[in-house]
Amino acid sequence: MGPLIPNGIIPEQWDYVIALLIGLAFGYILEASGFSSSRKLVGVFYGYDFAVLKVFFTAVLVSVIGLYYMDYLSWLDITQLYVHPTFMQSAIIGGIIMGVGFLAGGFCPGTSLTAVAIGKLDAMIFTLGLLIGIFIFSELYSVLTPMLSQGDYGNITLDKSIGIPADIIILSIAILALAAFYFSDLVRAKVKKVFY
Amino acid sequence: MSKNYKLKRLSTRRYQMLAAILILLAAGLVLLPDYQKHEGIEPQLFINKAMSNERFISTDIVADKIINKDPSFVLVDVRSEAEFAKFSLPNAINIPLDKFLSEEADNVINQEIVDVVLFSNDNFMANEAWLLGNRLGYTNLYLMKGGLNEWFNTIISPKMPEETMPREAFELYNQRKAAGLYFGVGSIEVPAVKTIVKTEPVKTPVKAPVKVVPEEKKKKSAPEGGC
Repeated sequence: MGPLIPNGIIPEQWDYVIALLIGLAFGYILEASGFSSSRKLVGVFYGYDFAVLKVFFTAVLVSVIGLYYMDYLSWLDITQLYVHPTFMQSAIIGGIIMGVGFLAGGFCPGTSLTAVAIGKLDAMIFTLGLLIGIFIFSELYSVLTPMLSQGDYGNITLDKSIGIPADIIILSIAILALAAFYFSDLVRAKVKKVFY
Repeated sequence: MSKNYKLKRLSTRRYQMLAAILILLAAGLVLLPDYQKHEGIEPQLFINKAMSNERFISTDIVADKIINKDPSFVLVDVRSEAEFAKFSLPNAINIPLDKFLSEEADNVINQEIVDVVLFSNDNFMANEAWLLGNRLGYTNLYLMKGGLNEWFNTIISPKMPEETMPREAFELYNQRKAAGLYFGVGSIEVPAVKTIVKTEPVKTPVKAPVKVVPEEKKKKSAPEGGC
């Protein structure tokens, strides 16, 4: 049956409407869980708040477990889902830039916009910088492309590239999540409390 | 007091509890029995395709395509290698039925560029190959109707139509004879036909054996659809 849009159950014309609804829900939940505060976000780097780690680990696991159950029940064909191609070098470079920017600016791109929405000045400056960065990157895109497209592994997934069945990987990530939650609680107990 | 304390402990460990639930769910995924996923074509579509006559291509059209050097199709002989070595159609590729799903065969069969016309001695083996291929969702597979037996009966030694039969039958016979010449059988003198066709203004008396071009037929349009 699924995915709904590629199989024509929901017409493609609804794309933008659905994107808008999902975007609204995403922004609301980011704000409701306090992610529009840069102090909460960077807490994961300083060890006084691990909400980011917990939320994203949980989100990954809930979605992947849900998708695989749906696949098992034939509600969804998992092979039809789009897998973004892996560019090894650009992923590493981009990851470093993203990490530095996250730590220095206190936001990731999505949360910066929710913080703008509630009127945070630092987020507005951050978003301005984000837009300038996007502009510079877009202008240099054709120059950078040969470098960025190196190490193209195509649309690979973890289970196919290392040859371990997907369900085993999911189970080990779930166990990893439990360990991560446990150790993050330990770290948090040790680190001096920060009020924000 | 102790109840409150318990609740507090629970709430501080709520993420670990959540992870435990997720582990249980993930373990459920691991423990679920494996099952054969339904791959390829939908059953209903498969039956519709198998019932349709469109999957057959007549020997006349195949002969026409060979003579016109039509690049849009490839002939695949699904008989065994020994049989293929004895005789086959010109430019045919041999993919025995038991190697039909091998990797080497995949290049030829699983593509969307040219039509694949399968044939064997009769319909039987080619049909089996057709069913296998279509079950996997390969798009442009066709069968040469009647296989090599039909090829022999129509192109190599066509049956002479009776005098009372319509003109089209004679035209078809002429065309088949001409095609047969191309494939190196028969001779240029086909007086029996000429005399009969004489009643009509003679269209193309077969003269030059090399340049025999049978009447052009409508080319089959490229198949559309599939999923």
